[in-house]
Amino acid sequence: MSAERDGVSRGEPLGPRRAGPGRWRAEFPYRWDADDTVGRRDLLRLAVITSGALFAGTALLAVLGGVRGRTRGGRRPIARVGDVPVGGALYFNYPASDDQAMLLRLPGDRFVAYSQKCTHLSCAVYYQPERGRLYCPCHEGVFDPETGEPIAGPPQRRLPRIALARDGDTIVALEEAP
Amino acid sequence: MSERRPSVFGDRYQPDVTGDRPPPPGRQALLLAALCVGLLLMGVQLWLLTIALDLYLGGAGGRIWLLALISGVVFVGGLLALWLLSRQPRRVD
Repeated sequence: MSAERDGVSRGEPLGPRRAGPGRWRAEFPYRWDADDTVGRRDLLRLAVITSGALFAGTALLAVLGGVRGRTRGGRRPIARVGDVPVGGALYFNYPASDDQAMLLRLPGDRFVAYSQKCTHLSCAVYYQPERGRLYCPCHEGVFDPETGEPIAGPPQRRLPRIALARDGDTIVALEEAP
Repeated sequence: MSERRPSVFGDRYQPDVTGDRPPPPGRQALLLAALCVGLLLMGVQLWLLTIALDLYLGGAGGRIWLLALISGVVFVGGLLALWLLSRQPRRVD
């Protein structure tokens, strides 16, 4: 900005700036009548459109949740009782060949099985028998091996549980339920 | 009467009967209240959507219908408010 346009001509002593009435209007002109304003009704209409989009998203999830089956997998033998020591774990694939799962033999000779996929960001969860916990190393999520419920870290949902049955000496997976 | 461009949201502009005058007394407060309540309910809808997503990922998709129903009621209420508060033609004195 030149000195003359700024109200200071050459040779004038520098002092407090002259601020005449309406000077800012000349320097920062704003044409209200030329602006494309959004009225209250326009804003209300936009809010209703957004509300419709949110409703559509919720309804879509409801439909998808209704279509998707609650359980997956079928009856399949996964191990013999002697394959897993007490306090040990056996990792296997269930229900699909690329779905990792784990079979735990808890103290008290009780078998439980869970999906190995962490409910936070799908990292693999491992059994740490010495600390009595299921541990996800990605973000330090911790699950209870007895129930699969999250007890520490970012996960908020329990691990999907795999229903088991014993057929003589064989442990059989029945289905995976969320 | 000055020329005014139609709204970006496709408002039905009626320059000969409404002009640029504000709504009649009482109506303006009603419109602002409707806007505030509508925006608050939109926040509730967003919250319902996050719960629905959490239930869906948790495998409890069967319980999302209730959330969708509540969200739909809010949406229909917004449509109703939009219809009730639509600009009424009136004379410019």
